[in-house]
Amino acid sequence: MQRLLDILASGVHDAKNQLFVAESIIAAAERTHSVDLAEARYAIEAAAGRLSRTLATYRLLRQGATLAVVPTVIADLCDEVVLAQGKHLLQSGVRLETDLRVADVWPLDRDLVGDILNNAVQNAGRYARSRVLLTAAVDAGDLILRVEDDGPGYPDPATAAQGGTGLLVGERLAALHVRHGRSGALHLTNGGALGGAIFELRLP
Amino acid sequence: MSAYADKRFLVVDDQPLARDSLRAIAQTVGAFAVEFASNYQDALYRIRNNAPDIVLCDYMLGEGRSGQQLLEELRRFNLLSDDTIFMMVTGEQAYEQVVAAVELVPDDYIIKPFSPDKLLLRLDRIVAKKKFFAAYYREKRRQDYAAALAVLARGRDSEAGRPYRFEILRQEAETHLAAGDASAAEAAYRNILADYEFPWARAGVARSLHRQQKHTEARAEIELVVAGTPSYFDASDLKASICMAQGEHAEAQKVLDEIARKTPRNFLRKRLLAQAAALNGDTETARAAMAEVIANDTMPGAVSPQDQLTLVRNQVAAGDLVAAEKLLLGLRESDVKGFDLALQASYVALLAVASPERGKSRLAGLRPALIDTELPTDTRLDVLRAALATDDGELADRQARHLMAGHDAKKVFATVRKYYSLHGREMALREIQRQVALERIHHETPTGEQPPE
Repeated sequence: MQRLLDILASGVHDAKNQLFVAESIIAAAERTHSVDLAEARYAIEAAAGRLSRTLATYRLLRQGATLAVVPTVIADLCDEVVLAQGKHLLQSGVRLETDLRVADVWPLDRDLVGDILNNAVQNAGRYARSRVLLTAAVDAGDLILRVEDDGPGYPDPATAAQGGTGLLVGERLAALHVRHGRSGALHLTNGGALGGAIFELRLP
Repeated sequence: MSAYADKRFLVVDDQPLARDSLRAIAQTVGAFAVEFASNYQDALYRIRNNAPDIVLCDYMLGEGRSGQQLLEELRRFNLLSDDTIFMMVTGEQAYEQVVAAVELVPDDYIIKPFSPDKLLLRLDRIVAKKKFFAAYYREKRRQDYAAALAVLARGRDSEAGRPYRFEILRQEAETHLAAGDASAAEAAYRNILADYEFPWARAGVARSLHRQQKHTEARAEIELVVAGTPSYFDASDLKASICMAQGEHAEAQKVLDEIARKTPRNFLRKRLLAQAAALNGDTETARAAMAEVIANDTMPGAVSPQDQLTLVRNQVAAGDLVAAEKLLLGLRESDVKGFDLALQASYVALLAVASPERGKSRLAGLRPALIDTELPTDTRLDVLRAALATDDGELADRQARHLMAGHDAKKVFATVRKYYSLHGREMALREIQRQVALERIHHETPTGEQPPE
């Protein structure tokens, strides 16, 4: 199975390299001709994100999956999600807002958690009427990362996690974050400040 | 004008297309001057001769080289100033696992593909962080460790220091180690572990215990790290060093054999392998490893007189006195004159064994100095061997007594015993051991661990 993982990882790696070549050519063209091709670059990054997530799903669902936990500044992590998604959401009339109440650094898998937040914001954007809210807070020693929207909410929050790749990864990713003997969790509910779906990642 | 317009960028990547891409992105964030390095050696050469402000380095460099190796080599030779930004670029998820485990990390790493805006954000953060730590770097460079720790303590308690909490704790631990206070370093690493089980912090605890000569505890800690993160090779190096201190030379060599195969161009590791093999009595491996270091560790100044003498030592141990003599006589007399006493003593002692007619009289000339001076372990072993070979039992016994009473007793015991039995002096060594044990009981010196029986 390790061999299969290596083959998949190498394929994804090559594909992402090629996508990076494409993105850099577009960036150079934007600079040279003073045009805005942000949506083209967004599509490239979304494709790369999808590839990464697919590989991460396979990797995380295997036995003995390990995370790469590094001290991560929560505000920085959220800023990068806004940078990646904010402009694109605005194209479809959805505003991405943040409410960050954590100034601290947290031990977590920066890239996988960032990826899963990007995915959650993308999903929320698809159902939102006009607003998506990304929040970070600390509650009872846990870091709470939330993505809320003002859409219709999950039809059935209890079974929603079985729905997509992103949710499956989110659940497993949360569970793999272990600290002081406690592990993280993913909660899907409806309501909240905006009245729609709430994606909540709780990390110890 | 961009904040990066007047910065010199160096893009390190073996793939031409990828190099162009990185340059295009760098230019989009405002860079005018972007240089290329197409491989590991080229990158080392450029950075050594004209250090850039910002290095964007791909993790995979081809020819079995990685960006992480480049970073380690740059730090080893102190070629990166505190202001230089080193950013690893990777399409690999594998590199995240490396960064999460190891002690030596780049300023940041970024996963391809990424937008110019994201690179800009990351660079800005690194600049802010370097600014926050600037006063600390300055004191540490001056080796004023007390002042460096005071700067860190102020930073830790400040609002601006909150995002850097772990980094501050880590720097505190490293500064304690650099200042020689291993017990304070241990406390600092344990402080980090109380918050999260980072492999590098656990390895830091093991390193601090090892420095305090608490080898059994150190071993237990490092075994945890090696079991949990087998790809963290520096942890395996540390395990091998601890094994050697415990006298478990076969285990040390086994560990190093395995990882040295995976990292064939890590010459610091190869030196360690040579040491373990020599202690383990595997003179062939020791000889081959040291010869490879001297032939291939090509950075200027990388191969030291110690390395040359280590190879000679291994040749002598392998019984190849002709090769040993040739190497010794190949050293320039002017260089030898510049050696400190320890190196000179090793040189003369090895010469006395490899080429008695040349070395014996010089050893005799140095004898008064060797009787009284503190000498490093390797040198004492050299002198001990030469003294036995030249029937100077008193000089040999003095070295043996120092070695058996010192921190390296377990490490060198098997070697000392081998030399003594070669010359039929087992009883003399036993008597030395008895005296050392008696003195220890008499003084009740708490050295952590007892010497071997």
